[in-house]
Amino acid sequence: MKTGRKLKIVSVMAILSILLVLAGCGAKQDSTDKESSNNQKVAVKHELGTTKVPENPKRIVVLELSFVDALHGLGIKPVGIADDNKKDMIEQLVNGKMKYTSVGTRQQPNLEVISSLKPDLIIADVQRHKAIYKDLQQIAPTIELNSRESTYEENIDAFKTIAKATGKDKKAEERLNKHEETIAELKKEVKEENGQTILPAVVRDTSFQAHTSASYDGGFLENLGFKDAVQSKEAYAEMNLEQLSDINPDILILANNEGKLLTDEWKSNPLWKNLKAVKNHKVFVVDRNLWTRFRGVVSSEAIGKDTVKLLHDQQK
Amino acid sequence: MNKNIKKQRARRYIIGFISVFLLIAGIFIHVSVGSSSIGITDVIKALFQPDNSKQTTVIQTLRLPRAVLAALIGASLAVAGALMQAITRNSLASPQVFGVNAGASLAIVVATILFPELHSKTTVYFAFLGSALGGITVYLFAAGGKVTHIKLALAGMAVHLFLSSLTQGVIVLNEDATDVLYWLVGSINGKNWSHVLILLPWSVFGLLAAFIMGRSISILVLGENMATGLGEKVQWIRLVSGVIVIILAGSSVAVAGPIGFIGLMVPHIARKLVGGDYQRILPFSALLGGILLIYADILSRFIAYPFESPVGIVTALIGAPFFLYLARKGRNIKQ
Repeated sequence: MKTGRKLKIVSVMAILSILLVLAGCGAKQDSTDKESSNNQKVAVKHELGTTKVPENPKRIVVLELSFVDALHGLGIKPVGIADDNKKDMIEQLVNGKMKYTSVGTRQQPNLEVISSLKPDLIIADVQRHKAIYKDLQQIAPTIELNSRESTYEENIDAFKTIAKATGKDKKAEERLNKHEETIAELKKEVKEENGQTILPAVVRDTSFQAHTSASYDGGFLENLGFKDAVQSKEAYAEMNLEQLSDINPDILILANNEGKLLTDEWKSNPLWKNLKAVKNHKVFVVDRNLWTRFRGVVSSEAIGKDTVKLLHDQQK
Repeated sequence: MNKNIKKQRARRYIIGFISVFLLIAGIFIHVSVGSSSIGITDVIKALFQPDNSKQTTVIQTLRLPRAVLAALIGASLAVAGALMQAITRNSLASPQVFGVNAGASLAIVVATILFPELHSKTTVYFAFLGSALGGITVYLFAAGGKVTHIKLALAGMAVHLFLSSLTQGVIVLNEDATDVLYWLVGSINGKNWSHVLILLPWSVFGLLAAFIMGRSISILVLGENMATGLGEKVQWIRLVSGVIVIILAGSSVAVAGPIGFIGLMVPHIARKLVGGDYQRILPFSALLGGILLIYADILSRFIAYPFESPVGIVTALIGAPFFLYLARKGRNIKQ
């Protein structure tokens, strides 16, 4: 009994002393960080506050795909990407090979790997990475921006913030002007479809998730002149066949998951066959990466081109 | 004395009558609410004098199968819960609390990721495998010796949470492979007759088998020694009941995900209404389970109206306080 208690006390002391040593180490690291970065700094306002970022950061780690797109648009190559361990997805995004280190999944990025890359700027998603903001800040100056469930406008804002943080304001302005030109051209090409209702959706084995007017792709399509068939403040909405047939969009865009799909079961139902989009052959299956994952200035242009192609090839 | 028995029997008939009425009324309400409300008279017309209108198609191909599925799954989970409470003699036992549902969920998610083209009919077998895994793990705790009810329920919840977190992990690692919420709480949105057909044979078989076992289980509940003395093969009853639980819970999870708390709550309500005889508790649990899930599914449509929310959220909202109540009550009773 007595020895048991002694053991307990000793072990508690041991744990405490280990913690103290660890805390000491942490503090030490902090101070060295402050010393090393005495260059010019730029204050960047983001979703979780203001962060001082060294001028013209060279080693950038990004934790969402839309940030890869933004950097790509600005002509910067990140050193680390949370790519969900899918190199081919990044190659698709930047349309070619690129050298970088994977820092794990977007949902659970590996902090050790990020730290080993010695970044001077980390760009994280305010939704996914809010909880690890402090941890990231310990590694390098971090800015948290809208990506997941962001609207098209928020995405453009994030692009501008990234440009400011990387000292590429001028380039960003040029790129956005070009973007607006591209959008205006695309808009002309889908003039005939102006005002038609469109519904992008992600289909899985157990769910049909409509992307509403508040979603990235929904908002972008509205910018092209379409009307999202589901007007909502929430980005995504679970729907069943009954609701789909009530909403009855002119154009249906499906970003299918791999494997079994809920819509396979719907196809035999008369309600599906009576959908306007089905009758007029305006149901299109699109690339899920491009349409729902990349979410960026460059890839949105690709989405627009894809839309034009789908609608016009089908008419021929 | 005789008068008293007669009185009790009359009471049971009344309760039975009310329950059947609630079930039928529930199905009608369930069918009439949806993204667009369809009046009761139109519902009756669509059911008995079908025409080619959109309303009829909506009711016959979408709403009716969903209502039937709710009733079947509610009945299956409730009876599975009643059987588990009997064989473990633990009032906190249920497919969810003892990890049976979570095990089935995990097995299906793993199976669909490994074999994406797998047909739903086949995934049922994976569900059986998973629910057996979850259930047996928890049961081994109980077999280890004197474990109090609360401790066993805690062990069960730990296994449940562990398996659920594995499910979550598997889905997260295969980014967006399937719907996380669906496999954590369960939903019957978007189901049609094909799902009913997958579930129906297993449900009917499991429910009938359970009803037949009713007498033996009543004796088992009296105590092992007593049951052996009365000529019952105790281990045999346990094993068969366990298999029935796996069939009922596993097939339910395979078509609708792990809808929780039905199996926990309903047997207690049934026991309160019709007494301690499992020949009555089991059929009543089936009836009340069906009623509960139908009404819960009606409520689930109003959480994010006009869009759908998983019915598992509603059953958890009702069930969690019930669980706490039972756990508290259990503490005051001598174990």
